[in-house]
Amino acid sequence: MLDLLVIGAGLAGLSAALTAAEAGLNVRVIAKGLGALHWSAGTIDVLGYLPPSDAPAEQPLEQITELGQAHPYALCGAENVRAALAWFQSLIAEEGLSYIAAAGEANAWLPSPAGARRPAYLVPAAQFAGALDRPDPMLIVGLLGMRDFYPALIAENLGKQGVSARAQFISVSEITDRRDANTIHLAQAFEQPHRRRRFAEALARLVRPGERIGLPAILGLDDHAAVLSELQSVAGAPVFEIPTLPPSVPGARLYRALRSRLRRYGVRIEAGMEAINFAADGRLIRWVETETSARPLRHHAAAYLLATGGILGGGFSSDAAGRLWEVVFDLPLSAPPDRNQWFRSEFLDPRGQPIFQAGVEVDSGYRPVDATGQPVYDNLWAAGGLLAHADPLRERSLEGLSIAAGRGAALALTRSAARQPAHT
Amino acid sequence: MHGISWQSVDHTLDACIKCNICTTYCPVAAVTDLFPGPKYAGPQAQRFRENGQPISPDHAVDYCSGCRVCNEVCPTGVRIAEMNARARAQIAATEGIPLRNRLLGRNELLGMAGSFAPRLANFGLHNPVSRLLAEKVMGIAREAPLPRWSVDGTFGDWMRSTRRARLKSNKKVVYYHGCATMYYEPFVGQAAVAVLEHNGYEVIVPPQNCCGLPMLSNGEFPAAEAYHRRNTARLSSYARAGIPIVGTSTSCTLTLKEEAPELLDLHDDAVHTLRMGVWDLFEWLQEQHDQGELRTDFRPIELTVPYHAPCQQRAHRVGKPALALLNLIPGIDVRESHAACCGIAGTYGYKTEKYRIAMDVGAELFDFVHAQGPHIAFSACDSETCRWQMEHGTGIPSRHPVEFLAAAYGLYDLERRSLVSPP
Amino acid sequence: MKRPTKRIDAEILVIGGGSTGTGVAWDAALRGFKVVLVEKRDLTHGTTGRYHGLLHSGGRYVVKDPQSAAECIHENRILRRTHAHCIEETGGFFVVTPEDEGDYPDRFKAACVELGLPCSEISPATALRREPLLNPRISRVFEVNDGAADSFLATHVTAQAAQLAGAQILTYHEVVDLLTDSVDGERRVTGAILRHMTAGDDIAVYADLVINAAGAWAGHIARMAGIDVRVIPGKGTMIAMNHRLVNTVVNRCKMPSDGDIIVPAHTVAVIGTTDEKVTDPEHLRIEPWEVQLMLQEGEKMVPGINRARVLRAWAGVRPLYQEGFSGDTRNATRALALLDHQSRDGVTGLLTITGGKWTTFRLMAEQTVDAACRQLGVQRPCTTSQTEVPGVEQGHYWLGHRLHEVEEHRLQGDLICECELVTRAMLEHAAAHNPTVTLDDLRRDVRLGMGPCQGGFCTYRAVGILHENAAAQEQNPRQDDHRLWNIAAMQSPAHPMTANRKTAAQTPAFEPNLLLRDFLQERWKGVTPILWGSQLKQERLDQLIYLSLMNANHLPDNDLSSPLTEFYRFTSVQDGEDPDAA
Repeated sequence: MLDLLVIGAGLAGLSAALTAAEAGLNVRVIAKGLGALHWSAGTIDVLGYLPPSDAPAEQPLEQITELGQAHPYALCGAENVRAALAWFQSLIAEEGLSYIAAAGEANAWLPSPAGARRPAYLVPAAQFAGALDRPDPMLIVGLLGMRDFYPALIAENLGKQGVSARAQFISVSEITDRRDANTIHLAQAFEQPHRRRRFAEALARLVRPGERIGLPAILGLDDHAAVLSELQSVAGAPVFEIPTLPPSVPGARLYRALRSRLRRYGVRIEAGMEAINFAADGRLIRWVETETSARPLRHHAAAYLLATGGILGGGFSSDAAGRLWEVVFDLPLSAPPDRNQWFRSEFLDPRGQPIFQAGVEVDSGYRPVDATGQPVYDNLWAAGGLLAHADPLRERSLEGLSIAAGRGAALALTRSAARQPAHT
Repeated sequence: MHGISWQSVDHTLDACIKCNICTTYCPVAAVTDLFPGPKYAGPQAQRFRENGQPISPDHAVDYCSGCRVCNEVCPTGVRIAEMNARARAQIAATEGIPLRNRLLGRNELLGMAGSFAPRLANFGLHNPVSRLLAEKVMGIAREAPLPRWSVDGTFGDWMRSTRRARLKSNKKVVYYHGCATMYYEPFVGQAAVAVLEHNGYEVIVPPQNCCGLPMLSNGEFPAAEAYHRRNTARLSSYARAGIPIVGTSTSCTLTLKEEAPELLDLHDDAVHTLRMGVWDLFEWLQEQHDQGELRTDFRPIELTVPYHAPCQQRAHRVGKPALALLNLIPGIDVRESHAACCGIAGTYGYKTEKYRIAMDVGAELFDFVHAQGPHIAFSACDSETCRWQMEHGTGIPSRHPVEFLAAAYGLYDLERRSLVSPP
Repeated sequence: MKRPTKRIDAEILVIGGGSTGTGVAWDAALRGFKVVLVEKRDLTHGTTGRYHGLLHSGGRYVVKDPQSAAECIHENRILRRTHAHCIEETGGFFVVTPEDEGDYPDRFKAACVELGLPCSEISPATALRREPLLNPRISRVFEVNDGAADSFLATHVTAQAAQLAGAQILTYHEVVDLLTDSVDGERRVTGAILRHMTAGDDIAVYADLVINAAGAWAGHIARMAGIDVRVIPGKGTMIAMNHRLVNTVVNRCKMPSDGDIIVPAHTVAVIGTTDEKVTDPEHLRIEPWEVQLMLQEGEKMVPGINRARVLRAWAGVRPLYQEGFSGDTRNATRALALLDHQSRDGVTGLLTITGGKWTTFRLMAEQTVDAACRQLGVQRPCTTSQTEVPGVEQGHYWLGHRLHEVEEHRLQGDLICECELVTRAMLEHAAAHNPTVTLDDLRRDVRLGMGPCQGGFCTYRAVGILHENAAAQEQNPRQDDHRLWNIAAMQSPAHPMTANRKTAAQTPAFEPNLLLRDFLQERWKGVTPILWGSQLKQERLDQLIYLSLMNANHLPDNDLSSPLTEFYRFTSVQDGEDPDAA
């Protein structure tokens, strides 16, 4: 019997699983599939823009208090968020991925794939040299034949914001003979030493003295550090990655690093296990069943942690009648009661879409609560994008919230006395 | 086209949000342009296919190996591998099936044919001239690891000749052996029977036929349906009676559980009853172990064993019970492979145009096996074609996990692949 | 008013770039007239680009409106030849569900015979074999020769045919006034003042005859000459399901009403439609009850459809004209209305053609140009019924053709819109040859953004590509040569590429960030009415891409707008606006 079953293999679920594993718990992670890490920029965004004004947050850790008491960040408090981020930074460095914070706990501002200024708090080392407050001019290099990256657009938009940038191309055939390669395949191509060398030499021919080189985020997958290092040394210039359309290579690197660390603790991530049913005795969950090729598979755990990601992650479903429901435990959701109130008329409305603030309400210990504020189940915790009263995409806080809440929930549950005794 | 209903897996294309996770993890798309990736060939292309078109619009789906890694990682539940298989069947229905694919689909017939004179059959097949001919004429890659017929009789022969020694008991299981165990590797079946009997079960081996998976993979749906209906008729009564049907070929049991019903859109009661009564052997043994009913009187096996869970085993979605149970054997050091696929994918890697792709896909696994050290005696894997591919790619013999269990019970010789006690 | 900076002289000025207007231009050009066609936005921006894509067999009208039916029967045959590649031979069913009126099916059958509409009754079992998702409780099925039509392609190739015959097509030119004068006490229309939508220049066009083919805006145009033409805008809302659930057009065998047709159009199935009188043909609101009605009615033909993924909702306005009509727009005639203002209003030099349906556009054009000949005092016969437009050699549309071509030519790596299989070359060609004020123009040309992700991936790619080409064009300006590219093949991935394709989008000021924002908004407008389930999850991923990843709402030039920006806005309850306020 498990100590903890984590449902959801996103950043929140994996942070929770690691926290619990470090505390010596016997943990398993199940997930219907893999998730948003593979779509994101690969940065750890803590808070980028403050609702409802959409003002940029320059000091995210200080400014999370401006989000109000209903916001899930209020559950952790700035101190715990800070600690969770430091914990993350340290463990991911041990897995070979270095994440850097800008000085003074400020947000770093990096180029987005469209050339906007994009706020991020912890930045993968590979992206850090792209920080827009550096004075050195940029050479943005794209691959001719790669459809997910547009250096001229990035350079022009950066230029309009006072950043000196110019665009060049290298043919994709320098790195691969394939005609149909996505970002992951290109990243794997960079792990061929002789191709990488050719590419690096092509870069060297393009770069001018004093420039830093921006490339799409495809610089290796498992061998990433070696790729980056070689490109920099051969080109003789700092090299930085700019995120691309999904699939996200930086996101995939992060997932693999976390998975690898979990394996060290003997924690399995079972993708393809969709939670379809559960049983509870009163307020104690006994088991969760996952779908298999025939009979459902039962998972018994003392504690359960739901990190299924809300609408984006598939943790919530919805229908034409305007119902929104949580798919595993049918937890009560805080949501606009009427479908007519789900959306605003502007896609890019800085106030966001009301439906995306819908979610699970939790108590200060991260346990989902009902309308009276009582935990719905005594041995169920919840964390991540599924929490109510935040729109992490609108405010650019998804990763920070996931790590902080995932860790916070796992710490709470390891301390909790209400765990079902393991031997019954 | 086979009739479509709302239950058809084709409708799961609606769940696709174009996120590219499937293509990220597809082992075939990682090594070749010939397969445009699961998202493309599955839910995306499916919107462009329909009944009764003059020609099949696309053929790249033929390069999908059916490994089902895409299904495993898809966050929204698109049944990509099944969708691809049905698209292949549609192509087959429109354009016909090449002789080679029909041949490769007829595992049972080939097995049976060779079993009458196995030594002759082995000699006839496994010589360079024959293999060259097979490649040039039939498109079967000359280097691909085709199996050898058992020269000691089939599994059925053994069951018949040893029937008096077989355990009779109130506790019964049905053993579904599959074509490979029957004709090529009866020793795997013997090890399974030994393990089951050691745990007090009477093993029933009722009349059964090929599960039809090679035909399903090659798009020959009508023939596959005939096979599945026959198996349903022969086996569902055991399921109804509550007698578990266990199998050592994880691909076969997956087919009986899920692939045949889903691909063929068969949802009637008998088919459903059979589904619910079939178990991968180690899935069932794990269940026994969870209930405290598995004998754990194991002798030590002091070996380092790289274990690869085949794609089809993972597609059962029951975790990796073989891994868990092997770890109960004292002294054993099981190393789990995290490679996606060995490449053979059933009949896929035997085809000339796909052999290289299969070997490229399997490279990660082969490297892993080698990386476990210089003194690896055996690797372990639940699927026969994967074992043959692994042996081919690593040069190291491969064994079914049940062979290790039987050896740990003192009943089986891992090296010689034979029972040690008289049957 | 500004003084016009340019002058164009023509014999016939056609106002309106929908199927009718382009049909008129084609017909008139073939008859040797010097024709100028003007359209205030992009071709098919109006009704033509917003309907369900049905090539009528006529079956819908055999009982209720035999005149319309007769026209459809006739034109259906013709269009299958002249616009072969714009038509898919889906066939059509008229199905009798348990709800359908008692004697209507027999009246239907009899009326088909009487009108000569090819119709054969088939068994429900046969129909179910062909369309397994049909309601198993259907009792009778009639098979007719409905088809699915691609009105975008058809209008573009008709315009191309007109150009090849010497016509001039000016899109993004709005008529801001008609030129009139009085000669011997008789008023006549002599031309129009055009305003280029983005450049803002005014052009004066002088013509012997002005043909008002402005569809739902015909009244607005006529008013510029002081003439009252009351066109009733009958709004029709329809929804597209994410994939084809049927490959045959399915109609309910009953008096035509809301939601009683499902049309397989390209990769989707369209359930249509409603019919509500509105006042403004421009800003159309999709009401929740309309969406629910489509799903509910669709359920009667294909049970289970209301649980399938809905892709999009949109509305068009039927221009319905009936002298003195004031009832339910569903009962207004669908027949064409050709108004000779000389006899009707004492004004020469102007004809109005309105009403009708897409299937009869050629006929409408023929009758209009016949009337034009009469007014101009010449006799020139119509040849459109025997004239094939460019591209018919491609044969009828079939669903798999793009998939097939991409595979044949190994173009997978070139795909920009993966959902709808649009290659980079297709996009560049369309952008280089059709004015691209908004990506929506490209959408109409090549189906950019029309698939499940509704522009999630391709919006960014399209903007990036157009921007690259604009930058290249700036450095190496090239002459644009229409003759090298065949609009008729614009939907074909296999169409041979020419080196000329790297010309910039034909738009005076290229603003990539604006293109991005406008298209994201345009797509949003059509999904919010149907956003739940998988499509909601999709949109959330699209938000991850454009907010979190791209930070598209903090790009430079955030305050720029295009002539279409305002058009893509709509009201919602959340904005604090009263949705019922006009």
